[in-house]
Amino acid sequence: MDRFIATNRRLVPLLAALFLWATLFVPAAQASMVGTQTLAAQQSADAARERVQALLQREDVRDQLVSYGVDPAEAQQRVAALSDQEARQMAQRMDEMPAGGTSILGAAVFIFVVLLITDILGFTDVFPFVNNTAR
Amino acid sequence: MHPPAPAGGRRRSPVAMAVALLAAILLSACAGIPEQRAELAEGTTATELDAVPFFPDTAYYCGPASLASTLEWSGYETSPDALGGSLFIPERNGSLQPEMLATARRAGRLAYQIDGRLAAVQRELRAGHPVIVLQNLAFGWWPRWHYAVVVGLYPDDGTVVLRSGERRRHRISFKTFLHTWARAEYWAMVTPAPGGLPATAEPGPLFQALASLEGTAGVEPAIPYWRAAAGRWPESGPYAVGLANAVYAAGDADAARKVLIDALPRVAEGKGVVWNNLANIEAEQGDLAEAEAAAESAVAAGGPHVEQFRDTLADIRCRRGKGACPGAE
Repeated sequence: MDRFIATNRRLVPLLAALFLWATLFVPAAQASMVGTQTLAAQQSADAARERVQALLQREDVRDQLVSYGVDPAEAQQRVAALSDQEARQMAQRMDEMPAGGTSILGAAVFIFVVLLITDILGFTDVFPFVNNTAR
Repeated sequence: MHPPAPAGGRRRSPVAMAVALLAAILLSACAGIPEQRAELAEGTTATELDAVPFFPDTAYYCGPASLASTLEWSGYETSPDALGGSLFIPERNGSLQPEMLATARRAGRLAYQIDGRLAAVQRELRAGHPVIVLQNLAFGWWPRWHYAVVVGLYPDDGTVVLRSGERRRHRISFKTFLHTWARAEYWAMVTPAPGGLPATAEPGPLFQALASLEGTAGVEPAIPYWRAAAGRWPESGPYAVGLANAVYAAGDADAARKVLIDALPRVAEGKGVVWNNLANIEAEQGDLAEAEAAAESAVAAGGPHVEQFRDTLADIRCRRGKGACPGAE
């Protein structure tokens, strides 16, 4: 598996270079439609370079998901579902990104007391038994 | 009131520390919250979407539970467990925002991040769309991240109603909601049913969201949304092209051609691309005279893709036996 990933890592820059080469040397003067993805990418200054970068970052995101305990095959599909922009966000700040999924188990007594007060004041909303609907 | 503990003292009393901490928490109350409330439409009546399904969640599955709720509402049958596989990150015990958007798209739904304003949430609710929000229920320094679905808003008594955790109708004050939402940078998304668009959609970000939907789920699920968007912005060239491209990719060249022809008299911006893509379809259908005229109009319209338009025109002229053919020189 490690060797597979290592091989993949070497392959990606090669494929990316091929991809760039192929886009640069499209045979001249062929009638073609302007694609939706092209229109969507138009807003960025250097779409081709960013596309290649996103390809590399997708690899990173997949590896990171696997290291966080996601099944490798599923990680592959999850990365494929991301847009270039989302893949970039994930690659750059997956560690610090808030992972929604809350549990208050394990709160120390001190934090418990502070939270209880702030819940009652309506600044936080952790405990189900505190229901502050006042303005 | 106790005098403040001397600076540099080795030990502060726990009470003083707690007071200081509490003060810090209260003072860091987020700026902008009064403005958020003031933006709400005046005199609007209460809105609550009773029909939005509820999936109770007891542990870390609030991401899948919230998404299952809005996807089911949009007509896609699912469950938190079914979505967990593409959302949940075991070692982080939670779900990330880009994957919330991507997972909605995998279900063939448009996923759109709305503005982080209470007024935007209100507009979506009034259009019938439940809104997924990310909250931090505790503190910046001790975060408890949580996804919930806003299904109701009562301007008169200043409360929102959430599908949240184990509570089907969790009713909290604007104040509490805005504090918990602000700590998650006011992140919010909607998943409109096919053919529906976010009430607060902006043309630029919506185009990106639709292109992403095609990238994730293919063109078929995107077509009803393209149709709605092309209807909402009839003067937009890109939306006419987006719809025509999707219809064409789904195998209906005749319909794609009609979309472009119908759009031409209305389109104000990006007209060159409309002409160019029309020329390609006409050429493919053997109508070379029309195709040449369309390609000429594309070149005349110009724009960032004008080189591509020139290639289209040269290719069509070659096929008509006029002018040099590519590769022949």
